Amino acid sequence: MSGRPQLVALPGYADRRDDVQFCGHCGRAAAIDIAAPASRVCGRCEMGLLIGAPSELAPAPSDPFLLVDSTLSVCGLSALAEELLGVVETKAVNRHINELLVPADAEASGPGDLVNLLVHAARGDGEVHDVVLRPTDEYGIRYWARIGPCGPPRAALMVLGDGSTIRKPSL
Amino acid sequence: MRTLKTSEAAAVLNVSPNTLRAWERRFGYPKPQRTAGKHRLYTHGEVAALRDALQEGLSISSAISRARESLSADTSVLVGALQSFELDRADAAMEAALALRSVERSVEEVLLPSVNELGERHGFDSAPWAFAARWAADWLQRAQRLAPPPMRPAAVLIGDATRDDLDPDALALRALQLFSVRSGARVLVLPVTGVAGLVDVLRAFEPQVVVVAGAEAPDDQVARWAYRVRSTAGALQMTLFRRGRVERGRTAGRQLAESPGEAHRQILDLLDGRARDAPVRAHDEPTLMPRRRRANA
Repeated sequence: MSGRPQLVALPGYADRRDDVQFCGHCGRAAAIDIAAPASRVCGRCEMGLLIGAPSELAPAPSDPFLLVDSTLSVCGLSALAEELLGVVETKAVNRHINELLVPADAEASGPGDLVNLLVHAARGDGEVHDVVLRPTDEYGIRYWARIGPCGPPRAALMVLGDGSTIRKPSL
Repeated sequence: MRTLKTSEAAAVLNVSPNTLRAWERRFGYPKPQRTAGKHRLYTHGEVAALRDALQEGLSISSAISRARESLSADTSVLVGALQSFELDRADAAMEAALALRSVERSVEEVLLPSVNELGERHGFDSAPWAFAARWAADWLQRAQRLAPPPMRPAAVLIGDATRDDLDPDALALRALQLFSVRSGARVLVLPVTGVAGLVDVLRAFEPQVVVVAGAEAPDDQVARWAYRVRSTAGALQMTLFRRGRVERGRTAGRQLAESPGEAHRQILDLLDGRARDAPVRAHDEPTLMPRRRRANA
């Protein structure tokens, strides 16, 4: 084998058949029997696009979640995340994720670690990581979150939970 | 400009008409115009921009944000053209805007914000502002010449209370005039400074709605003009456009919205007699107090 660098084709999100499809707004699983699935618009709530994510990452309908792109801008917010974070999606979109959430333990792990996780996930890194976060400028509140890739288009999915389904945090 | 009915726009986006209306309520986009029968009419450019953005979007919000960005490019092109004093490029920017929007929306979303941005940037007493304002006034006049002849039996008299052509409110007045002319009404603009011979003009024109526009002319001058109008033409609907701050207890007329498009819709409602019995809200209270001028005016 030569030592020359090689280009390796990575699977895109369109190729991942085992992903779970869910609505980016209501979080419910895609329903092919409901109108307009071809447009990627959720046929149930009509307010979100259908997104795919690995089954161990995909949110349950009761999980708040955020979608973040590789520039770390918020691209979407579920209805439950709007309630949890007290911000409507239209105001949150295009804001940097650090304006909403930061790592809960800033001494043990800097914001750079969260940034790395999100960037890798947004680039299609298949692993799911668990982290502990807090709202920016607020102390005493913690959210357990799992972060991994989703799409199309490629992005990072950050599912917030109560910690019961979270493994040992990475941060 | 190509327009689409709700069902057609929904088909382009591959969603149901209900979804489209739900997006309009939540996101304010796509923003349809209304036909005379109050049916929605979507501009093809907006719908196409949203369709493209949805294909690459992660959420409806981000797709709409991207679609809006692609449409707002016209504003930055126009600002750039006026900033570098290139009239041809400015005209071309408006042509491009008209390909995606109606005349009314092109004026409200591209022309007025662009010219205003230059005023904010350089000052409303600067040469770049004067250049941009004169070009904009000329463009509005050209657009008015292309408007269809009056179709409605409606006549609107606008009392011009602005300082001069370089008054920022003068452009809004010209926009309001254009919108009214394009809706088929007869429109006459007279300065509030001139009352001599007003009676003859009013008898010939027979207005149904009177608009006092601008905040520069003093109250007593406007009051004299309004009194002469009412004593000649009878108890007309007297409205105020960009006249100024609300002051209770002074009876002069109904305050119209600041936006020329919204003010135009209110005038149409008045002409149709629908708003006659509407309750007067706090900001509808009459006023003749001049608005505080912009700091750098």
